[in-house]
Amino acid sequence: MQVALKIWRYDAVKGERALREYEVDAPEEATLLDCLDIVKDRLDGSLAYRKSCRMMICGSCGMRMDGAAVLACKVRMYEIAQAGQVPVISAMGNLPIVKDLVVDMQPFWGKIRAVQPWLEPGLSDPGETEHVVSQERMDVIHKESLCIMCGCCVSECNSMEADPEFLGPAALAKGMRFVGDPRDQATVERLQSYSEEHGIWDCTRCYFCNERCPKGVDPRDAIAKLGAEAVKEGIDSDMGAKHAKWFVTSAKTTGWLRETELVPKTQGIAKSLKEVTFAMGLLKHGKVPPPFPPHVAKHVGEARALYDLVHEQDRDGAAGIAQSEKALGHLEHADDGGEAAARGPYGDGSFAKPFLPGEEPTV
Amino acid sequence: MRAAIEAFDTGANVGVVSKLHPTRSHSGAAEGGINAALGNAAEDSPEKHAFDTVKGSDYLGDQDAIEILASEAPGDIYQLEHWGCVFSRSDEGTLAQRPFGAAGSPRTVYSADITGHVLIHVLYEQLMKRQEQGPFEVYEEYFAWRLVIEDGRCVGVICWDLVRGGLKLVTGKSIVLATGGMGRIYRATTNAYACNGDGMAMALHAGLPLKDMEFMQFHPTTLFPSGVLITEGCRGEGGFLINRDGERFMARYAPNALELASRDVVSRSETTEIEAGRGLNGSVLLDLRHLGPERILTRLPGSRELAMTFAGVDPIYDPIPVRPGAHYHMGGVATDNWGATEVDGLYAAGEVACVSVHGANRLGGNSLMETITFGRRAGQAAAEAAQVSRNGGPVSEAPLADAERDLRTLLDRSEGERPWKIRDELGGSMLENFGVFRYPDRMERQLDVIQGLRERYQHVVVEDKGDIFNSDLTQALELESMLDLAWVMVQAGLAREESRGAHSRPSDFPERDDERFLRHSITRWEEDAPVLSTEEVRMTTYQPEVRSY
Repeated sequence: MQVALKIWRYDAVKGERALREYEVDAPEEATLLDCLDIVKDRLDGSLAYRKSCRMMICGSCGMRMDGAAVLACKVRMYEIAQAGQVPVISAMGNLPIVKDLVVDMQPFWGKIRAVQPWLEPGLSDPGETEHVVSQERMDVIHKESLCIMCGCCVSECNSMEADPEFLGPAALAKGMRFVGDPRDQATVERLQSYSEEHGIWDCTRCYFCNERCPKGVDPRDAIAKLGAEAVKEGIDSDMGAKHAKWFVTSAKTTGWLRETELVPKTQGIAKSLKEVTFAMGLLKHGKVPPPFPPHVAKHVGEARALYDLVHEQDRDGAAGIAQSEKALGHLEHADDGGEAAARGPYGDGSFAKPFLPGEEPTV
Repeated sequence: MRAAIEAFDTGANVGVVSKLHPTRSHSGAAEGGINAALGNAAEDSPEKHAFDTVKGSDYLGDQDAIEILASEAPGDIYQLEHWGCVFSRSDEGTLAQRPFGAAGSPRTVYSADITGHVLIHVLYEQLMKRQEQGPFEVYEEYFAWRLVIEDGRCVGVICWDLVRGGLKLVTGKSIVLATGGMGRIYRATTNAYACNGDGMAMALHAGLPLKDMEFMQFHPTTLFPSGVLITEGCRGEGGFLINRDGERFMARYAPNALELASRDVVSRSETTEIEAGRGLNGSVLLDLRHLGPERILTRLPGSRELAMTFAGVDPIYDPIPVRPGAHYHMGGVATDNWGATEVDGLYAAGEVACVSVHGANRLGGNSLMETITFGRRAGQAAAEAAQVSRNGGPVSEAPLADAERDLRTLLDRSEGERPWKIRDELGGSMLENFGVFRYPDRMERQLDVIQGLRERYQHVVVEDKGDIFNSDLTQALELESMLDLAWVMVQAGLAREESRGAHSRPSDFPERDDERFLRHSITRWEEDAPVLSTEEVRMTTYQPEVRSY
């Protein structure tokens, strides 16, 4: 098949950027990485990109395709080429470019280091044997341990674009990998440290990291779990934590979010006073409801029942964080409604059932 | 990384040179597991582990080394678990263990089907922890090119700094090679682009002996057409191998072990089926359908993802097309049981080394264990030797100047052939002429092919002349290593006139010949050509027996 690509080249010595178009003949099963290899071999040996395993596990080949981070080895080009599209390939975002599609990963690793990413042994020393821990307890960090450190989430992180010091999705997911590990003893220290400025509460919840993670780690969910664990441990002095807590209190008491109280509850009285003029303006234009009398939802009982139910189920902390649908689909195997799923493993059109030599084959 | 951690803990000032960021290394792509006789799933013992490994090696493994591996493995696994490794658990909460090929007991500790991934990340975590305590330097994206040997001692490594450019000399009192294998010599391989045998070539060219280089393991289940690995764990969990008719053909080749025979046996059986016309597009099929969605999703999610992404097949509903592909090199730099080579100050561990624990055929799950156990031993030995080493003084500038000159010659050439065609022809011809089955005429032909390619390599052109991230240059240097190593392999294969483990000569020497060939082959590089000799196999307990599964 013919595949056309536009690639943002970057020459670090001259500091010049240029968008170049390439067209290659590639086998139908080719991935974006395969196509880049053909470009490098046959058209331009100076094209720079990272690669190694080509099986979505080493995390080398993160880059952007049409502005969204991908692993080059994971993207099959067939449908894109058939549709006549010419994708634009560029280096990942939020990291300095070294050359062409290669970024400097040092800032990325610096943040990983900042979360003290190693186990602080906590369970009693088992001696010359393993810790006994149920699979169920280890499943808490199942998704976080899938992370391959490719940087795709960091590339897309909106918070990091605004605040380059934000710890970011990869590092916080790595943090959750230890907070959720029953063998780690530094949970409280970790939660305190991750709750500081540039930490958990600086995430804007845009969900781009979940969207672009090629491994289903769902870093935003990990950040939510960290937040919930922090509040559970009473580490809630950050405005973000107070903000989240007020949502719960407000919903439980009146069934609504009482926005006028949200600001003082989050920022404190002193800071809120400075916002009074702004608030009056909002009130005047009907943008916020008057605070008195508090408006109680008609079916507030339902909100309270829901609150009680969650408590009865003991779903506090990370256990109270609902996983995104995509993540659940990944874990529970939601059928995509495809042809194979419709006929089943042994239905009409399926491959024959296996048999041993000498047995009669069954169809 | 395991060697570096141990060297640090032994008190050494450590530096790691890696052409990739350490977590990008190909150990991370290992899937199925790591073998240690913990006895969690069924009764087991280090003796059983050792016996299975000796038999699997077709009696070419050095038995003292195998006994070390089997007896020290459990302690190493517990240490990894204490470091935080995320292994899968049994119903009792202990480390789960699954059956693997040619193992007498379910011995393979695992983490779903991403065992290498969790191991490489726990090692990097421990490395970062030690970096906080320092000094512990990591030279990332440094391409190691040549060893510097002075007065019979290894004193340094000449590296190309990939990110910034320039040759750099990294010196040390002890140097441990842990550069992995060279599957990329073959077109169909599970190996990463980084696996080019750099370390073996460095050692060979520095005058060190390579051992058992004819033994390349072909993994029976590599995905068609991409070649990526589908873990042996699929068969460990109960998967079937079937031909185009749906027949479980392994029953005709290994009536007892069936799909869980050793890898050399299964790869030969598949190749026979395919050559007899009972394959499908040059493949056979790995059928997991009967395992059901739950087992596939909890135990083999990575394999499912690979099959769906690269072959468009969901193994819950359809069998996966697989074929044998180059996977692991049993041979390598000859070392003793502490990873020491014959040159003072130089050690090797992992796939680059040949201790030898794998002999003529490696068992699944033993390579990760070897990297850990012998990585630890090499790191400790290297650190201890460094404390009393005479190295550490100024190093002669001459080798670096030679390297600069050779590099300049390559970079200054502007007319000639680009390397990719030579690389592709090498990979294709090695698969055809030195693959699962080996025939004398094809091996002779391959020697000619390699000579022709080496000649053409003398005129290759590196298009990128720049300093910054010049992977065009490093890929050309890798190709040079592979051409020489291919020659070494075929030469050793021709000389071994028998069939043993992964080396199978069905037309002229179909049987194992212990009388003549129960010996390691040794290759040295003299006057720009490989020179062969042999060496005794170290036997302790186990005498050679007929090997069947």
